[in-house]
Amino acid sequence: MPRTEAGQGGAWRIMRPVRGQIRFAMALAVASAMFGLAGMGLLALTLHRLMAAPALWPWESALGVLACTAAAYLLRLTAFDQSHYAAFRLETLLRTALAERLARVSLGYVQDAGAGALAKVVYDDVKALHVFVADSTPLYARAYAAPVVTFAALLWLDWRLALGATAVLVFGFAVLALAMRNRGEMTRLYNAAREQVSAAVVEFVQAMPVVRTFDSGESTFGRYRRALDNYLAVVSRWYREAGFAARFAMAVLNPMPTLAVLLWLGAWLTWTDRLDFGRWLAVLLLGTGMAEAMMPMMMLKHLVDRVKLSIARIEQVLAAPTQPATGQAGRPVDASVRFEDVDFRYGEGGAEALAGVGFSVAPGSVVALVGPSGAGKSTVARLIPRFWDVTAGRILVGGVDVREMPAETLMRHVAFVFQENFLFADSVAANIRLGTPEADMAAVVAAAKAAQAHDFIAALPQGYDTPAGERGAFLSGGQRQRIAIARAILQNRPILVLDEATAFADPENEAALVAALSELMRGKTVILVAHRLNTVRDADRILVFDRGRLVERGRHDELLAGDGTYARLWRSHERAQSWALGGRPATEAR
Amino acid sequence: MPASVKKITPWRETWRQLLRSTGRHGRAFRASVIGLAAAAVLQGLALACVVPLFVAVATARDGDAALAWLVAMSALMALATVCRWLAQGFDYRGRMAEATHDLRTRLGEQLRRMPLEKLQDRRAGEFNAMLLGSVDENLAYTLTILNLILTALLAPLACALALFAFDWRLALALLLVFPAIVPLYRWRRPAYGRGMRALAQAHQRTSADILEYVQGLPVLRAACQTGEKAERLRAGFAHLEHIQTLGHRKGARPNLVVTSVVELGLLLMLAAGVAWAVAGTLDPAILAAVFVIVVRFAEPLATFVMYTAILELIETALENIETLLAVPALPVAEPAAGRPAAHDVEFDDVRFRYAQADAPSIKEFSATLPARSLTALVGPSGSGKTTVTRLLMRHADPQRGRVLIGGIDIRRLRPDQLSAMISAVFQDVYLFDDSILANIRMARPGATDEEVEAAARAAHCHEFIARLPDGYRTRVGDIGGRLSGGECQRISIARALLKDAPIVVLDEPTAALDSESEVAVQQAIDALVRDRTVIVIAHRLSTVVGADQILVLDDGRIVERGTHAELIAADGRYRAMWEAQQRTKSWHVERHGHAGSPTAP
Repeated sequence: MPRTEAGQGGAWRIMRPVRGQIRFAMALAVASAMFGLAGMGLLALTLHRLMAAPALWPWESALGVLACTAAAYLLRLTAFDQSHYAAFRLETLLRTALAERLARVSLGYVQDAGAGALAKVVYDDVKALHVFVADSTPLYARAYAAPVVTFAALLWLDWRLALGATAVLVFGFAVLALAMRNRGEMTRLYNAAREQVSAAVVEFVQAMPVVRTFDSGESTFGRYRRALDNYLAVVSRWYREAGFAARFAMAVLNPMPTLAVLLWLGAWLTWTDRLDFGRWLAVLLLGTGMAEAMMPMMMLKHLVDRVKLSIARIEQVLAAPTQPATGQAGRPVDASVRFEDVDFRYGEGGAEALAGVGFSVAPGSVVALVGPSGAGKSTVARLIPRFWDVTAGRILVGGVDVREMPAETLMRHVAFVFQENFLFADSVAANIRLGTPEADMAAVVAAAKAAQAHDFIAALPQGYDTPAGERGAFLSGGQRQRIAIARAILQNRPILVLDEATAFADPENEAALVAALSELMRGKTVILVAHRLNTVRDADRILVFDRGRLVERGRHDELLAGDGTYARLWRSHERAQSWALGGRPATEAR
Repeated sequence: MPASVKKITPWRETWRQLLRSTGRHGRAFRASVIGLAAAAVLQGLALACVVPLFVAVATARDGDAALAWLVAMSALMALATVCRWLAQGFDYRGRMAEATHDLRTRLGEQLRRMPLEKLQDRRAGEFNAMLLGSVDENLAYTLTILNLILTALLAPLACALALFAFDWRLALALLLVFPAIVPLYRWRRPAYGRGMRALAQAHQRTSADILEYVQGLPVLRAACQTGEKAERLRAGFAHLEHIQTLGHRKGARPNLVVTSVVELGLLLMLAAGVAWAVAGTLDPAILAAVFVIVVRFAEPLATFVMYTAILELIETALENIETLLAVPALPVAEPAAGRPAAHDVEFDDVRFRYAQADAPSIKEFSATLPARSLTALVGPSGSGKTTVTRLLMRHADPQRGRVLIGGIDIRRLRPDQLSAMISAVFQDVYLFDDSILANIRMARPGATDEEVEAAARAAHCHEFIARLPDGYRTRVGDIGGRLSGGECQRISIARALLKDAPIVVLDEPTAALDSESEVAVQQAIDALVRDRTVIVIAHRLSTVVGADQILVLDDGRIVERGTHAELIAADGRYRAMWEAQQRTKSWHVERHGHAGSPTAP
């Protein structure tokens, strides 16, 4: 079976936190193997004595067999216990390390990588390590130690038989090496074909509703099939090219050929009185194990190869760059926000998202960010809480560079309400209290009332103690948004960043949401990203972005009079608002 | 669908599933398994030759006999190797690869056939993708595992039977020790399963906790609740480790206990053998030979127990494959004679409940959508609007009532007939990793380049497509993020236009767009809905004031219906929604941080 290249370096590296325990488990496994071999030796001795003197009980050696077997068994059991406990420990440690790392990387990294994909790394990939760490490590130890010790024992027993047994193995591995000859190239082809299949599968499954609506699936299914065909061709080729040698090697490395060689050679030597029967017996009991101890190693490769990708992904997240924070600078002096000549690009060599953006927001004023999609307005909003760090220039909150204040200080000054609102699987009250654990119930209720959320919360089966369910699924978008607003009201931070906070509310909720927002914004410095323009008319200042640049700034009337980008956007907005399906425009009764 | 706790499948059933999964290669597969079994038996017999060999060498000092047994043993071994060689040809000649290839194709076809309802949610999607992706990986090791099992079981059995010719007591002992492991293994699995349940729950909790933590990072960080302060997360990890440790003691260790039975058996055999030899009733050479043989058997057994993990992977994969293949396609009842002549749509007392839901999503839903009319569905989220459109597209069948097109029950239409009549534009656009041309043309594979371009022009996307590096031949994957939401949406509308279906479903196609994109998409939609039966889901009520009828849904029922003017006059639910929306429209932030209170219209 074709497999991916297995470099075990990463596998051992990732076990570092529990290295001691794993080494202990491996040492126990080696000891167990030694006792097993000793047991075999004593068994040979027992049988030999019996044949020499059939009437006498070979007590000492028989008890030795018993002791060795028991020791080998107990040691093996302990080895597996230790490796399993180490594996469980490792899971916890790695997950904790990953969670802590994710707390320190830029939120932009989380956004780019995707929450789902990262959660998969923290859960699934860490879980996948188990097979390797828990089950394989003792076997590996045995697979390496047992053949060496066995070979030494065979040499001591009879060098001719030792050479015979080794010759078979060498021959087998030589053929195996022949089978692996083209491995590099085939592995590459194989992996490419596999990836193609995965991509086609994901597309085919995810797009099924669209596929069904538009064709009977011909084109998508065609792509899926082509990927499968290509994969089959690659796999078949691999089998064809490496199949004979691989099968041959397997046949040779199987313990039976070794046994046959030892029997023929031993029988001849014994018959010609050049070998003691007892030694022959000992070789037969011990010798064939050489091949056998190696077989699990080859089988384990399959499991380990699966783990390799997981390890790579875990290490990647653990190595994700964290955001530097000097944390030395003073606390913000007021609720102002200032961008000074900010450039920003996503990642190295990414397109320029912002260029030369500079503006300042006075404490207590309301500034709206508008522009066509892709203009950079959401990016501006997200740079304030350091989703990413600027490429050039700086951002000051209360006169202090955001990179120079501890994350906590920054978060204590700025509150955010985003489009997507996230509720935790905890009670509604706990969700409102998040970030202000000291707030009492009266304060929570007051915040909920201000956010127009009290009425619907009170109507829930358990009121404020109702669990918010799997990500608040049973609450409507608008209701979840109001809980998020209640949270921000309770947090009561001087600066507020709103990113299109009313986007997904349905009509009835929207009115309540608007009232909640009005309450939240009272007396705060507000930076508001608006995709639709109706909300921003009366902002103190409107900043208009286009392709990463701040192209216009001013009040609504001034900008309309200027007849620039904003005026164009405003006209589109009016037009979009008055559109009605079927070419029968709304006759709005205003 | 994904079972978190696996139930135990009898091996017989697993075997049947294997034969079904290998499809047209089933016979070859069976032959290859028989070959492996024969190899195991021959191997057992070859090992049995060691007994007379030892007797000949050590006791009888009979050179000819020794030579004869050596030759016999070698011949049997060679035969076993040949059998195994041929049997493994199923893998190495690529039969297994072909079988999994066929299986994946079959699974793909099944996905195209089964009711969309079952594929709709994300988890089902991920699960199926995983299943299809891992079919070969899971099944490829089937023969390797079967070889292990058969060698571990049949070789000792055959050898023990042959041993009866030399010493019945040892033969009997051997028979008792080795096959004993199979019932033991099956017996401990249910216990293992029980332990697994608690473990599965702990895993589920951790998985959910982690997802929540990562998704909630922006919020948690704003609340300073990340890293060391994420107490819930840490508590979850600690709990999982505790359950794992417990589960290991109760569940995983019995694996080793089972192997220890074999070791204990061997020790007993040794004691008995020595006793018989001392008593003079057993030739010590026979005993020695039996131990040389038995040592050969112990290892494959231990290995087999180690690889039960892979065996369980295979069993689970087979289960999941069977479950997926067993989902019936929605039946086509006595096909209608022709295609519907008219394209009016009627919902006749429809009630529908999703499989996992406790309450119906739609009930007593009756409505007529005349041909070439515009019907709007409005109402709060969760009121059943999307479900109505899904039933029209037959993602699932209603539990009660009928959906008719041109007077014909859609259950009497073939899937391709039905799909040919309906175009849909969704809020989320899916573009395939292919050229833009292919993405539009998929709606009508026979369309010429000119027709595709005409559709693109009508959907207001010709201009931006022409500006792309390779025009219509540009691959979507190559430019990925560079298409805006509005541009993607217009491509999907061009697709719908090219299809030229008489019925059009619009599910909030502009909800996720900014104003400028929205205007362009609106123009494209205007072209799409002309002279067609249109059913539209709208949040912004002003977009549907011109509708021929507006159905107001609440909790799965139609609570009001009529034109905009009628519903405003009726002064009910719709009017309240309309007024609420008009108010928020005039809401805007005021200077100096005070938001204007909503003004009455």
